[in-house]
Amino acid sequence: MKTEHANWFETLLWFVVSAIIVLAILTARRGRTLYIRPIPGLAAIDEAVGRATEMGRPMLFTFGLAGIDIVSMQALAVLSHIARIAARLGNRLIVPLADVPLYTLTEEVMREAWAAEGKQDAFRSDDIRFLSDQQFAYAAGVIGLLNREQVASAFYFGYFYAESLLLAESGQQVGAIQVAGTPATTQIPFFIVASDYTIIGDEYYAASAYLSREPTLLGSLVGQDIGKGILIFLIVLGTIFALLHGFFPRALPHNWLADLLGGAS
Amino acid sequence: MWAPVHGWSLLGYVAASVAAWVALFYILHRLPLRHKRILIAACTFLAGLFYTLEFFLPAHSRWLFFWGKHENPLSPLVGPLGDAVSVIYGFTIALGIISLASVHGKAIARRRSGWHNSVAFFAALVSMIVFGLWQSYVPDDPHRATWIFRASTVHRIYDVLFDGMYQPLGATVFSVLAFYIASAAYRAFRVRSGEAALMMAAAVVMMLSQVPVGQWLTHTLHGPWANLRVEVVANWLLTTLSSSALTGVGLGIAVGGLAMALRIWLGLERGSFFEAGGPK
Repeated sequence: MKTEHANWFETLLWFVVSAIIVLAILTARRGRTLYIRPIPGLAAIDEAVGRATEMGRPMLFTFGLAGIDIVSMQALAVLSHIARIAARLGNRLIVPLADVPLYTLTEEVMREAWAAEGKQDAFRSDDIRFLSDQQFAYAAGVIGLLNREQVASAFYFGYFYAESLLLAESGQQVGAIQVAGTPATTQIPFFIVASDYTIIGDEYYAASAYLSREPTLLGSLVGQDIGKGILIFLIVLGTIFALLHGFFPRALPHNWLADLLGGAS
Repeated sequence: MWAPVHGWSLLGYVAASVAAWVALFYILHRLPLRHKRILIAACTFLAGLFYTLEFFLPAHSRWLFFWGKHENPLSPLVGPLGDAVSVIYGFTIALGIISLASVHGKAIARRRSGWHNSVAFFAALVSMIVFGLWQSYVPDDPHRATWIFRASTVHRIYDVLFDGMYQPLGATVFSVLAFYIASAAYRAFRVRSGEAALMMAAAVVMMLSQVPVGQWLTHTLHGPWANLRVEVVANWLLTTLSSSALTGVGLGIAVGGLAMALRIWLGLERGSFFEAGGPK
């Protein structure tokens, strides 16, 4: 089986950014106070859970079509937070799934959340449902749940495709307060127009740090911001070299930076 | 990587694999939660280490891989490991069916509202499994008879179920999207702020660029003014403004994903599955 391999620059960049993230985590663990800017979408989660409880209607959380990966791991962290509040307030949280391995993890996370609040008896395993791994069968199932259960709050955290607007519009129609977050850049516009709050870009991966204020997670946010700074610096440097190469082809016959990184000049 | 086996050898391998999996699941089931978490962390680290080394070590190197063909020794293992993951995923199909059967079975037993939909679910599940498996094992031959039906009848029933029912149902749900886009666009285009006005202006330009009448409106612009033609402005919006913004968002997502992956790989993540003592 032929597989792809990194070039020397990719390896170096990965090592440097990873080392910075790990160092930032270790520094944060030593007790350094870190600031995280307010993210309205994440701040609205508590409000959405409280509203659903006041209305006496359930909530719905979906991962979209995500399987077990980094995207769903982050979504599980958010789910864990929502489930703890739901358990504390005695509200129902319905989680329809499109991926069976994720179903088992979700059940475990939900059970733990109810147990952590000392309400094991109130946990309803039937609220975690595998619907279908087929895109539109799953979408139809979630739309049915939104309408039948008249959910008061809907949370969309995971990976979405064309079903994003189907779900978010259906949530709007039943009057649910909706919070969405996805790294799928093609679906972000649909969530922006159909949801009350949308978490965009790297805010998605800041969710667990924001909700838990755990030093380890806050430290990794600082590390990833420094990593982004390095990448932006490289982009600016690359743009300058490309412009110089374009304007002064005789003085600079080769795009030195592109040659160095193994890219096209 | 390994030569395929057949006959009794294959049966032996399958039996040994099943026995090994049963033993492994039994041990995992008996382990205390704390040890399970340690095991999960160890497996995650080893799997992460394997894929990291496989990707970052070069495909060929005389200096690093001084033996044999000087090839990366981890690369041939990527395929079999992927197959193993597929097998583990295969095990979980039964869990999905159990979950569905449990929810719908209770709905029928307790005569909940809409219980007849649950009956339809069981009918669909059974018929798709039966005719799906049946048609895949029987060649589509009109003269060949099977247990009850002719082979061609089995294929026809499967076609009715899949092409005649399942696919149109999926297409129906997808086509609802067109109406939802209209209602979402109506809400988004209500100009209530400067950002909404910008969004509406961009959307109007994009829509006009897609229809002949839109392009006709500005077709008289020539020379330097040609840059203001609807299709040119729409292309600039799409390839310059929109794509650069999306690249920026993508950059943030990529670094955020790397940080999340590192936290999980190195056991620094907090919350369910990641802490020896459970979530705080």
